[in-house]
Amino acid sequence: MKKNAQNAGIDEVNFYDSAFNVRLKRNLEILSNVLANPTTVLGLIIVILMLAMAIFAPVITEPNTPDPYQMPRDWKAARSAPLTPGHILGTTNRGGDVFYGVVWGARTSLKLSILVVSLTVVLGVIIGSVAGIVGGKVDEILMRIVDVFLSIPELIFALAIAAILGPSFTNIILALVIVFWVKYARIMRAQVIRIKQREYVDAAKIMGASKLQIYLKDILPNSFSPVMVQATLDMGNIVLVGATLSFIGLSEAGIAEWGVLVSEGQAGISAGRWWASTFPGLMVFLWALAFNLVGDGLRDVLDPRTETKR
Amino acid sequence: MSNSKNTILSLRNVKKHFPIKEGVFQNVVGQVHAVDGVSFDIGAGETVGLVGESGCGKTTIGRCVSGLEPLTDGDIFFDLTPEKLVALEDFEKHQSEIKNKYLIDEIQSTSNISKIEGDDFYNYRRNCQMVFQDSFSSLSPRQLVSDIVSRPLKIHKVCADNELIPRTIELLEQVGLGKQHLYRFPHQFSGGQRQRISIARALALDPKLIVLDEPTSALDVSVQAQILNLLHDLQKQRGLSYLFITHNLSVIRHMADKIVVMYLGKVVEAGKTEDIFANPQHPYTKALLAASPDLSEDVMSDMAALDGPIPDPARPPQGCSFRTRCPVSRTECGWEVDDIIRRLEHHETLIDSIKSVHQPDAFNAKLTFETSLSAIELKDVVGTKDIPKQMRKAIKKIEVKGNDVNISFDPVQTVPLVQSENGSLSRCVLANK
Repeated sequence: MKKNAQNAGIDEVNFYDSAFNVRLKRNLEILSNVLANPTTVLGLIIVILMLAMAIFAPVITEPNTPDPYQMPRDWKAARSAPLTPGHILGTTNRGGDVFYGVVWGARTSLKLSILVVSLTVVLGVIIGSVAGIVGGKVDEILMRIVDVFLSIPELIFALAIAAILGPSFTNIILALVIVFWVKYARIMRAQVIRIKQREYVDAAKIMGASKLQIYLKDILPNSFSPVMVQATLDMGNIVLVGATLSFIGLSEAGIAEWGVLVSEGQAGISAGRWWASTFPGLMVFLWALAFNLVGDGLRDVLDPRTETKR
Repeated sequence: MSNSKNTILSLRNVKKHFPIKEGVFQNVVGQVHAVDGVSFDIGAGETVGLVGESGCGKTTIGRCVSGLEPLTDGDIFFDLTPEKLVALEDFEKHQSEIKNKYLIDEIQSTSNISKIEGDDFYNYRRNCQMVFQDSFSSLSPRQLVSDIVSRPLKIHKVCADNELIPRTIELLEQVGLGKQHLYRFPHQFSGGQRQRISIARALALDPKLIVLDEPTSALDVSVQAQILNLLHDLQKQRGLSYLFITHNLSVIRHMADKIVVMYLGKVVEAGKTEDIFANPQHPYTKALLAASPDLSEDVMSDMAALDGPIPDPARPPQGCSFRTRCPVSRTECGWEVDDIIRRLEHHETLIDSIKSVHQPDAFNAKLTFETSLSAIELKDVVGTKDIPKQMRKAIKKIEVKGNDVNISFDPVQTVPLVQSENGSLSRCVLANK
């Protein structure tokens, strides 16, 4: 009788739900909350289109040989306007096909942002977790290092590092990793310190769970969502900063990259040849906008304050 | 309790001090005496209630017992047979002449939770579980009830994988939930149900002792009663021992066999529940009982609500630690120089004009003022009603020498915990007579 009274409060609909179904349902619920926001949906659509463009680049345009990331040069058709047969978006001063650059630039950007984001997330999460869990002097030292990194504006810092390392695409990746990991370390440290004081961590200790188990099962899953939001936002920011560095000429010349393309078309703008800079510039803008919209939408849904109480 | 039963938990002079750290280099500048020499026993199947106001160290004791905090000093013994307890008490009384050396060694190596390691400590983990106050924070929001309740079973490999779910359902049923709750997230439950999940998790390893850290204070009164009844039934069925930490006296009266009253990290009174409720000895216990609105027995009507703040646990008062707020304080309570300084709150100009304080110990001090006038004023203030009469009497010497004032008190030892007439232990100078 007592038991029935207890159960009355909860609906009896999903009596034999399995753990997998419940988890799936919860994830779908989060997804539907994300999709409830129209601007997020807009961002998501652009992101999906961009990703499709990046993935299907070899299908959309014929890959350049031997290196598809190098712009094909059609010197005879240099400086042709958009809608020229064979060059839908026109060509640059040096005969680079703008359409090819836009499409393969998406692939380059995807490569750049995924590489940089995954490296920075891993580095930041590890360093932030160590600082948060060990605490004391280790924390103090790590966080002062982070402070030094954070005190320099990210664009100028990335520029300086890339300039020191020399112009190459790999060095841009390296420079961006060095600049962007600190944010994740900060976020992760704060989250770990917050979560490790929760009583469920104490409960796990009392059960006899090992430190690694506690970290992997209690601390990490509960502290990861702000990192995810930041990572989504950075997917956009990194392309923006990366394009800036390429524009200045810190990338390899002639590769299919939006920043490189903008800088290549720059000389023609005063002569009325707007297309070579406008289309790749627009792509950078859309890419950054889309990931920012999605990141903002994620933040609203995954906000730790709305996580447990709803 | 009868002598045939084991003593599940035996705290002996347990101390837990937290360092106060400051600055970039985290230098230790002081110690907070959160728990300062606490001793009590919990018998098998017994409930011991630990009461006291916030900040008195009761939760810290719970955390020490459950092994979350290492002890600064003292020992916690687990599951002592009657012979071992006798041997231990004997050993404490006559440190020099050890009769049962082998038994003491055995106790130290197998029952002292701060010394045991490896498998023995693992075994202790199985036998001592904890239920927390805040069920929102004590259940991970990303784990399903099935994961939460079966996790201790997995960690200790209690049963085979295919038995996990039946065992979990069994546990849920024991706390009044069912298999329909297996695959839900904690936030889908009410506060009382979440606390039931916590209890199921604590029961999973079939422990001998459960530390209950204010398990009901976050719940509605009606739900509180349900949870308390559940705990009561489980105790009867399984012969559990509880360390029940709370500030709610009506709950403790309902649940506990013995009560330990704490104040500022020390036990001020300990005894059987009925004795303490019928005839409290310590003024602090009396004040607690008087402050509890649903216990309107007129015995305590002369005890007003306590005024004044709790003293800083980093500098606990000498002598009796309760005397700064005690309505029946005496000359011999152990007054010290800090008391005079505390009482000067209303004389800001006087405090501001103190230039330096030279204090060789707690009972002697030389205060240097900027002017001799202030020095004389201090002596005057000490003579007025701002200072309680008992304290004024306790001052051995107060003399003004130019800008200096020398104050000295008689040094007093910490008031011991002694047996009072009703059989309970009490730490008060009044009970000593």
